[in-house]
Amino acid sequence: MKSRAHRFKENAAASLANPVLQANLRTAKGKFVDKRAIAIKELDDFEATREAAKDIRNRVLEHLDLWLEKFEEVACARGAKVLWAKDGEEVCRLVVEIGKQHGVKKAVKSKSMLSEEAGLNQALEAAGIRPVETDLGEYILQINDNEPPSHIIAPVVHKSLDEVADLFAKTHKTPRKTDIPALTREAREVLREHFLSAEMGISGGNFLIAETGSVALVTNEGNGRMVTTLPRVHVVITGIEKVIPTLEDLATLMRLLPRSATGQSISNYVSLLTGVKAAGESDGPEHLYFILVDSGRAGLVGSEFQDMLRCIRCGACMNHCPVYQTIGGQAYGWGYPGPMGSVLTPLYTGLENALDLPHAATLCNQCGVVCPVKIPLPDLLRRLREKQLENHLRPWFERMALKAWAWVAERPSLYALATRFGVRYLAWLAGGQKSIPLLGIAPGWTQGRDFPAPEGKTFRELYRARSR
Amino acid sequence: MKVALFVTCLIDLMRPRVGFAALELLTAAGGEVEVPETQTCCGQPAWNSGDRASAIRLAKKLIAEFEGFDYVVVPSGSCADHIKHEYPAILGDEPEWQARAVALGRRVYELTDFLVHVVRLEAVPGRFAGRVTYHDSCTGLRSLGIKAQPRALLKRAGVEVLEMNGAEECCGFGGTFSVKFGEISAAIAERKCANACATGAAAIVGGDLGCLLNIEGKLRRMGDETTQVLHIAEVLTAKS
Repeated sequence: MKSRAHRFKENAAASLANPVLQANLRTAKGKFVDKRAIAIKELDDFEATREAAKDIRNRVLEHLDLWLEKFEEVACARGAKVLWAKDGEEVCRLVVEIGKQHGVKKAVKSKSMLSEEAGLNQALEAAGIRPVETDLGEYILQINDNEPPSHIIAPVVHKSLDEVADLFAKTHKTPRKTDIPALTREAREVLREHFLSAEMGISGGNFLIAETGSVALVTNEGNGRMVTTLPRVHVVITGIEKVIPTLEDLATLMRLLPRSATGQSISNYVSLLTGVKAAGESDGPEHLYFILVDSGRAGLVGSEFQDMLRCIRCGACMNHCPVYQTIGGQAYGWGYPGPMGSVLTPLYTGLENALDLPHAATLCNQCGVVCPVKIPLPDLLRRLREKQLENHLRPWFERMALKAWAWVAERPSLYALATRFGVRYLAWLAGGQKSIPLLGIAPGWTQGRDFPAPEGKTFRELYRARSR
Repeated sequence: MKVALFVTCLIDLMRPRVGFAALELLTAAGGEVEVPETQTCCGQPAWNSGDRASAIRLAKKLIAEFEGFDYVVVPSGSCADHIKHEYPAILGDEPEWQARAVALGRRVYELTDFLVHVVRLEAVPGRFAGRVTYHDSCTGLRSLGIKAQPRALLKRAGVEVLEMNGAEECCGFGGTFSVKFGEISAAIAERKCANACATGAAAIVGGDLGCLLNIEGKLRRMGDETTQVLHIAEVLTAKS
């Protein structure tokens, strides 16, 4: 997927100016936040569970190579093939090769963020293989001219029922309907044909379990089961960081994932898929491939950003982010929005290609508080800001202003003089009014609000005068 | 008990009366209060902008100015947390300075936290007529646990608090975020103002001036000239 993260400001302005999107965002916000708050209360000790989940993920990352080898060994023993991809291009090449080898004309897909990262659909189409998204949200995006997703688990959360009704009527050439069960039935009828005729199924993977060589899929619609059991060939595409040691670890993580994501105690489907169809078994694929993808992940191991690899892709950080709630996910410009996206996008696509994202956060730490694996997201964003400065990636006037301000703040007498002058100037600008409607030195501030006028003297000068 | 007041740069520049209100509260609490005259800024803007070198220098400056006191009180959760919890990380490469940062950090308190938990101020000097709603600023709330303290003090001052929806949600200030992404910041502030105004309170009260300037600026732009926006120190020392 081509990143538009460098156009964050324009994207965000467009989101703010879109009244339909703004209304949809307001509706979505409450659902996620309120449902999660109720769901986590079911756990006796949510904080201790978070701590345990963090430890599990850290344990894997300490010896990621060993756990991946263990997974490969066990998965291969169950008849799967494990392939390694260093980037999105290699993912596309491998999937196309597998498709050609098995004479695939159509591939049904359940949700896979890595296939978004890699731009897999375009590559498949170019190779003459038709990709059909079967996650309802992803399907809606695909039939809407391959619109990008706005959320990692609810890709069409930015759309209203009316918009979907229009799209279905236009695409399926059926009478327009706004009854949700009728719409989903219509989607099921269309998709069923594809499930039955596709030669290949492509899925993501929420977790890879090293001790059993299995992939765990956490889904709600049931399409994941169709995709992974009906076609002859099943390809799992997932990041190398998704491996966990044991099924017991999975149990711990599953206490947190659905609760943090959708506020469910458990998702409608949790599938554990292990190996190819064995003799005497009635379902499962004849060929099973795991494509384990690096795409920048290995480079984070051992770095100051390693904590980010703990991420289990629940989406809680974006659901609770005041910025995400205000502009939606598409503004972030790549597959991963919100705080986790503002960390991952620059790390995976290049610092210089997403300069705004690490700054597009108030550092309110609501994301850090809700993260089920305790990723210190605000701290990682701050470190990215530091990296930008180190690499001379900030505009010169911003660098100079920062340096000049700090230089003065280190010199109390000069600072006293500068601030006395500064507050008098601002008070003069206010001209006796309570606030300044347009501020030349910080136009960003007065774009959407006034600048309250200062009193006119600094505390320190008043205090000094009083003490005498 | 020697108490130092770290006024914070925003209060120094924008709202000296909040500084004097804090001084009055600390004096009422029985402290021998000093305001070190060379204080400027804790360095949080530098740290949050990625300027580690400046953040280190400003941290050392503040530590040297304030480590001689029994307590350091800050009328801002955000600045208090920066000194208390970020300084040890900022000075991580210099063990001696880090140790001094940790030692100082133990004695640094946000104003309402200090009044409730350290000096246990019962007789609040002010009287404020009118009901208020309280905005929980992010860092004070999530890193220092400032939630019950301001409400307890308001209760002692006889002020009724009308809780707004989303009191714990960010107001959209975010330091330099408010200038770099003014439109987004103001849109977030609009939600905060709407929630606050829906309570019918006469004043929106908080403990961090950055948030309060943001909220006040948005209210005035929205045409609301009457709802007051006040720092809790002002309410607790009000003479109405």
